[in-house]
Amino acid sequence: MAVRAFFLTGLCWLTVLFSSSASAVTVTDSRGEHEFDTVPERVVSISWAMTEDVIGLGIQPVGVADIDGYNTWVVRPAIPDGASDVGKRDEPSIEQLAALKPDVIILSNGQEGLIDKLEQIAPVLFFDAYNKDHDNAKAAREIFLELGRLFDKEAMARQKLDAMDAHIASLSEQLKAHFGPDLPQVTGVRFASSSVVMVYGPNAMSQAALTEMGFGMAMDQESNQWGIVQKKMTELSTISKDGILLYFKPSPGVEKLFAAPLWKAMPVARANRVAGVESTWSYGGALSIGYLAQAMTDALLTIAPQ
Amino acid sequence: MTASAVMFRSAPDVRRKRLIRYGLAVGLLLVGFLLHLQLDSALTLSDQWRIATGAAPDSFEEFQFYYAAMPRALLAVMVGAVMALVGSLLQQVTQNPLLSPMTLGASSGAWLALVCVSIWLPDLLADYRAWFAMGGALVSVTLVLLIAGRSGLGGLPVILAGMATHILMGAVATAVILLNPYSADSLFIWGAGDLTQTDWEWVRWLLPKLSVALVILLIAPRPLTLLRLGDAAASARGLSTGPVLAVLLLLSLWLVSSAITAVGVISFIGLIAPNIARNLGARTSLDELVFSLVLGALFLLFTDGLAVIISQWTPDMVPSGTTAALIGAPALIWFARSKLSSRDQTALQVPEGAARVRRGVWIGVPVLLTLLTLLHLAFAPAALSPFDLSALFQWPSDLVLSLRWPRIVTALCAGAGMAVAGLILQRLIRNPLASPDILGMSAGATFALVAFTVFVGGSIHEGGPFIAFAGSASVLAVLLLLGRKTRYAPGIMILVGISLSAVIEALVHFVLAKGSDQAYAIIGWLSGSTYRVSSGQALFLAAGTVLLFLFSLMASRALTLISAGDAIAQARGLNTQRSRFVLLVLVCGFCALVTAIMGPIAFVGLLAPHVATMLGARKVWPQLWLAPAVGMMLMLFSDWLGWALLYPKQMPAGTIAAILGGAYFIFLLTRRRLG
Repeated sequence: MAVRAFFLTGLCWLTVLFSSSASAVTVTDSRGEHEFDTVPERVVSISWAMTEDVIGLGIQPVGVADIDGYNTWVVRPAIPDGASDVGKRDEPSIEQLAALKPDVIILSNGQEGLIDKLEQIAPVLFFDAYNKDHDNAKAAREIFLELGRLFDKEAMARQKLDAMDAHIASLSEQLKAHFGPDLPQVTGVRFASSSVVMVYGPNAMSQAALTEMGFGMAMDQESNQWGIVQKKMTELSTISKDGILLYFKPSPGVEKLFAAPLWKAMPVARANRVAGVESTWSYGGALSIGYLAQAMTDALLTIAPQ
Repeated sequence: MTASAVMFRSAPDVRRKRLIRYGLAVGLLLVGFLLHLQLDSALTLSDQWRIATGAAPDSFEEFQFYYAAMPRALLAVMVGAVMALVGSLLQQVTQNPLLSPMTLGASSGAWLALVCVSIWLPDLLADYRAWFAMGGALVSVTLVLLIAGRSGLGGLPVILAGMATHILMGAVATAVILLNPYSADSLFIWGAGDLTQTDWEWVRWLLPKLSVALVILLIAPRPLTLLRLGDAAASARGLSTGPVLAVLLLLSLWLVSSAITAVGVISFIGLIAPNIARNLGARTSLDELVFSLVLGALFLLFTDGLAVIISQWTPDMVPSGTTAALIGAPALIWFARSKLSSRDQTALQVPEGAARVRRGVWIGVPVLLTLLTLLHLAFAPAALSPFDLSALFQWPSDLVLSLRWPRIVTALCAGAGMAVAGLILQRLIRNPLASPDILGMSAGATFALVAFTVFVGGSIHEGGPFIAFAGSASVLAVLLLLGRKTRYAPGIMILVGISLSAVIEALVHFVLAKGSDQAYAIIGWLSGSTYRVSSGQALFLAAGTVLLFLFSLMASRALTLISAGDAIAQARGLNTQRSRFVLLVLVCGFCALVTAIMGPIAFVGLLAPHVATMLGARKVWPQLWLAPAVGMMLMLFSDWLGWALLYPKQMPAGTIAAILGGAYFIFLLTRRRLG
C-alpha cells in the first residue's frame, strides 16, 4: 500500500516535472509567434472580449479594465473577486499595471496603440478579434483555443467549445420542434432611435449563433468589421412576412415605435413575428455565441409557428 | 448705406428683380420638394397624389410614402426655414454676419444636457427629452449672450463667447461619454442631426411651436429697419431697442430650441442662408427675413436629399447633418468672405495686472514648475483609498518612470507650444481673444486626422504628424488666400475656424452614429491625451517645440512692431506682409506639431499669454518667456489632475485644460462686460 502510494506520488511528481518543462509554450497572436517559458499565472486582460475568454477558461485574472462597464454591458461570465480594476480600456493605468507585475497582458481591437507601452511592463498578446477580412465567430474560437494553449488548458478550451456547440445543437432541436424542420429566416437588430436601426449582418456574433442553429438571414447584408450596419427603419420592410425580426434589449421607447402606423404596416410586424432578446453583449469572445444562442432561442420560442 | 442705394434705383426695376428672385427660389423649392419625395418612393405620381390628398394607405410603399417620405420632406422645409429665419433675425439685430443659432452655442447646450440625462437619469429621457434639450439650448445661448453683453453682440466677442461655450460644453460632454461608454449611444443619431421620420409625430410636435415665426415676420421688420439706422436714430423715432431686442431674441431662442429638439444638430443653415440672401440682393428687413426663410428651406431640402441619395449608395446611413456641414462650410466661407473686413478689432481688456514682471515671478515660476513636475512624478493616487499618508508620495520605479516621462514632456511641450502660438496670434491680429484653437489652425490638423480615420480607415493614432501638417498647411493656404484681400482680418480666421470645427463635429457625429467602437477612439483622441505618446514622439515634440520657440524669439522684433500697428511697423522698415506670413507659418507649425502628437488642445493658447500679461509681461520679450512657462504649468497640472482625480481611470489632459480654460475665458468675458 505504502509502496503504491509512494509510487503514485512519484508519478505525480514526474508528471508535474515533465509538464512544467514542457510548458514552454508558443502561442500565435495577430502579430506572430510568442514564446512563454512558463504558463503565465498573473494575467491582465484589457479588452472585455478577452476578459470573457480568460474567465471562461477558468483563469482568475489579477487585473481587468473597466470592471463597472463590464458588469453593466457584458455581465456574463462574472468577474471573480480579487481582480483589480486597471482603469479604462483605452488608457489602462500604467502604475496599476506595473504594480500587478503581470506575466501576460492581453489586448484586442482598438488597443493596438498600447502594445509598445505595455510591452515594457509584461509580454503582450494582441488579438485582432473583429476584422472585416475574417469570420469573427471563427476567429473568436481560434483565439479561445490559442488562449487555452497559453494557459495549458487546451483540452478544457476544446471541451468548452464542444459543450457550447452541443448546447446550440440542442437549442436548434428545440426550435425545429417549435417551427418545424424548415426554420424561418431571422435578422437581429438594435433600435438606435425611432427612425434608425443597427442591423446585424454576416460577421456579427448573433448571426453566427443563428447560422449555427440553422437559421438563414432575413435581410441581405454586407460583411464588415463589427458585423453591424446602420439602416433606416423603413428598410426592415424588406423582411418578408415569413421572416422573423429580433431586437436586442435594452430598447427604450420601443412601445411607442410599435404603436406607430408605419411600423404596423411592416410585413414582419403585420405577421406579428417580432420578439425582444434579453440584453446580451454582442462583441464578446467565443463563449458569447452560446449566450447569444440561448437568449435568442428564448425570444424565438415566443413567436408562434406558421 | 444699403437703404440709400435701394432708394436711388428705380422702383420698378427693383421690384422686377425681386419678383424674379422670389419666383426662381419658390419654383426651385416646389420642384425640390417634389423631387425629394421621389427619392425614396416606388409609387407612381398619381398614387402619391391619391395618398397625399387623403386616401388611406394600404400597401407598405403607400404607408412609407405617407409616414416617412412626406413628413421628412415637410420637416426639412420647416426646419430649414426656421433656422434661416432665426439666423437672419439675429444677423439683422446685431449687424453681425457671423451670428446664428450655431455660433451662439445652442446645439452644444442641448447636447450636454441630453448626454447627462441619458447617463444619470435615463428613465426620464424617453418622455422629457424635448424639454431637456430645450433647457440645455436655452441655458447655453443665454450664457453666451450674457457673456457677450449688448456691446459685444455686433462683433467678435459674441462669436468668441459662443465658440468658448461650445468648446467648454463639448469638452464636458465628451468627458462624460468617455467615462460612461455606450450609455449615451442612443443619442448619437440625434447628435448627427437626422431627418429620417417614421411618423407625423415630430411634424405635429414642431408645427404649433413654429407659429411664433409668423409673429416675428409681423413685428420684426419695423424695429429691424430702424435698428439699421443705429440705436440713437431708432430711439429718436420712439423705439427703445432694448425690450424689442429682448423679445425678438427670446422668440428666436424658442424657435431654435424647438427645431434642434426635433431633428438634432444640423448646423450652418441659419448662418449661411441670410448671407446668401444678402448676396443675391435681398435688401429690406422683411425681404431679408422672407428670402432667407425660402433659401433655408431650399438648402436643407437639397442637403437632406443628398444625404438620402448617398445613403442609398453606401452601406452606412449618412445623416442630414453631415451633408449640411460638408456643403455648408465651404459655401459659408465663399459667401461671407467679402463681408468680413478688418474693421472688427473690438479689443478686450485683459484684467489689469502688474506693470512689470517682478523678480519674485522669475524665481517663483520655475520653482513652481519643478514642484509640479515632482508632484506629477511622485504622487501615488493608489494610496488615496484606503488613505495611507505614508504611501502617498513615493518615487516611482524605473519602469514606471520610463513610461511616465514621455507624458510629462508632452504636457510641458504642448503647453509651451500652444502658449507661444496664442501669443503670436494675439499680437498678430491685435485681439487678445484670438487663440489658435478658435481660429481654425488646430482644427485643420484635427480635421485631416479625423477625415483620414473616417475615410481611409485605420486608427486615428496612426495618422501621424504628416497628415496633421498637411491639414494645418491647407488651412494656412486658405487663410493666406482669403487673407490677402482682408489683410488677415480676425473675422476670416474665425470664419474658417468655425466652419472647420463644425465639419469636424459633423464627421465625428457621423462616426459615432455608425455605432462602432472606432468612435470612442476618435473622441478619446479629440480630447487631447498624453497617454499614448511614446518616448520617441515626446523627444520629437520637444525638439520641434524648442526649434519653433527659437524662431519665435528671433521674430520678436517683428512681433513688437506689428502689435504697435502697421503704420509704425512700416515706418521702421518692416515688410509687414512678409512678417505676417512668417508669423502665421510659425503658429501653424506649433499647432500641427502639438495636434499631431497629442490631439487638439483648447484654451491654453488663449489663457497663457493673458496670465503672463497679468504677471506683468506687457512687452513681447518677457511675454515670450513667461507665457510658455504658464502654459507648461497649466498643461502639467491638467495632466496630473486628469490622471489622479479618478485613478485608476484617467481623463485626458486636454479635457481638463478645456474645462479650466473655458471657465477662465467665460470669467474674462463677463468681467469685460461688467467693467
